[in-house]
Amino acid sequence: MTMAQVILIALFIYLGAIGSIVGNTIGWYCLGRPLVASFVVGIIMGDVQTAMIVGIPLQIAYLANVTPGGAVAWDLSYATYLGTAMALAMRTPDISNEALIGLAFTGAGIGGVIGGTMWNVHYALNVLLNRWAERIALNGDAKKMWMPNLLGGQLIGFACRFIPAVIVLLAIRAGASQGINIPSWFITGISTFGSMMAALGMGIILSFLIRKKYDWAIFLIGFVLVTYFSLGTMAVAVIGVLAAIIFYQIIDRKEVA
Amino acid sequence: MAKAHEKKTLNGKTLRKSFNNWFFWNGCSQQAESMLGMAFGQSMAPVIDELYEKKEDKAAGLRRHITLFNTESQVGSVCNGIAIGMEEQLANGVGTPEAIQEAKVALIGPTSAIGDSLWVATIIPLLLTICLSISSSLAETPWVGPLIYIIVYPLGTYLLSWKIFQLGYRAGLEGVQRFMVSGQLDKIIRAVTILGLLVVGALTASFVTANLNIDIKTATQVFDEATQAYIPGSISVFNLDKLLNTVFPKIVPLALTIFVYWLYTRKNWKPIVIMLLILVLAAVFTAVGYIPGIGAFVG
Repeated sequence: MTMAQVILIALFIYLGAIGSIVGNTIGWYCLGRPLVASFVVGIIMGDVQTAMIVGIPLQIAYLANVTPGGAVAWDLSYATYLGTAMALAMRTPDISNEALIGLAFTGAGIGGVIGGTMWNVHYALNVLLNRWAERIALNGDAKKMWMPNLLGGQLIGFACRFIPAVIVLLAIRAGASQGINIPSWFITGISTFGSMMAALGMGIILSFLIRKKYDWAIFLIGFVLVTYFSLGTMAVAVIGVLAAIIFYQIIDRKEVA
Repeated sequence: MAKAHEKKTLNGKTLRKSFNNWFFWNGCSQQAESMLGMAFGQSMAPVIDELYEKKEDKAAGLRRHITLFNTESQVGSVCNGIAIGMEEQLANGVGTPEAIQEAKVALIGPTSAIGDSLWVATIIPLLLTICLSISSSLAETPWVGPLIYIIVYPLGTYLLSWKIFQLGYRAGLEGVQRFMVSGQLDKIIRAVTILGLLVVGALTASFVTANLNIDIKTATQVFDEATQAYIPGSISVFNLDKLLNTVFPKIVPLALTIFVYWLYTRKNWKPIVIMLLILVLAAVFTAVGYIPGIGAFVG
């Protein structure tokens, strides 16, 4: 990793975090998603192909990490950008895909801990901005109302994301140049962990979706379409759209009748 | 307050400015005291500035919009629309400041619930899943998936959020409430849920992997092709994962997923704690694989 790459990745960690200058729709919900993050890191480090190998399992594991500030969230952008960057920086030429994914999950784990901490610091510091906002409101200064929210929020947010990210990325760079040798049992364990982590994403998404007892049957239809009929997820998504249309019509009839 | 003969109507540019202030910067100053209060204040500032002349009126207007407010911001732009409509009426002498406050508080619950369950928990994972499937089926060009997401998600959400904002402004509190109780929304949510369930089922089968790694072998002589001679080796007599997969393919990943669901919904475990449990399970399964005699990783 060059210094320019370190700074660019750290910048994207900030942009993809909750409440960055580009907004949560473009930031947290788009740049912050592992699928997009790995793509961006791939472009910055000049190897999109390898980056996507780790991006897909990371995205599945963190699929349910969606609500900013909610129970499920920690600063996801830290986990995914650092995970992909670590995999790309530390890989050896003959590394297996499994070991690569293992490296990415190790980086994501470190990133997750820092991200969770920095989110709490950000959240706590932002409280101070309320006093500033009250003073401006009291003066009826509508033209200055953007300052506590946008200016204040950004200064705190940038400091909490960019600075720690640069430090961690420099540590990864130092580790990569030392040529740290990770033992094979560790890689096996961590990649096992990575593929089991997908269950966390799925389990939490299910908690949003399951409303009636028979919903389990619909979920299992999707499951066996893959295991027994060997369909891809894209094919099941198409079947799902058709099923949704039919279902919508049936509910319609019931209400008319 | 306005004189009776000059009815105040907000400029279209002010509406767009208010919406953009909200859409881009709703999460900038999120905190425990007023949640999205300051962001809501920034969104309302251009409106207050245009509607009121006197400094005291502006101050009163701004102060009622930096108080506690929270929602799912993308779908929740309806609240800004409604609040702006009510401010406009107030500037024309209709309604009270208290009614605006009450409306905002009343909207927190339902808009958060709809936004979180429909948009955040269903549409986003679904779109990601589709892009993910595209990426994993295109081995040569896996970057197409994220590229589609980068274009479709922000653009689609911006347009939807802007439409909902305008709906709130035009239809007002009563109009929006009428739509919410009409059942139309429930039907859409239900249909999208069916799609979501099928896709999550497929994803679970495709991507969750968990092996118990128990493979009991017995020592025997095996024929080695290279040397054309019998050498000491082993054959599997009992492979637990193979056996289970014959009964029901991928039953262990399925059981793990349902177990996580149960811990999360019934036992109220935090995701981070479940993650630690998965880490422990992964360590145990890996370790089992290395135990001589019963492990799948040793000969």
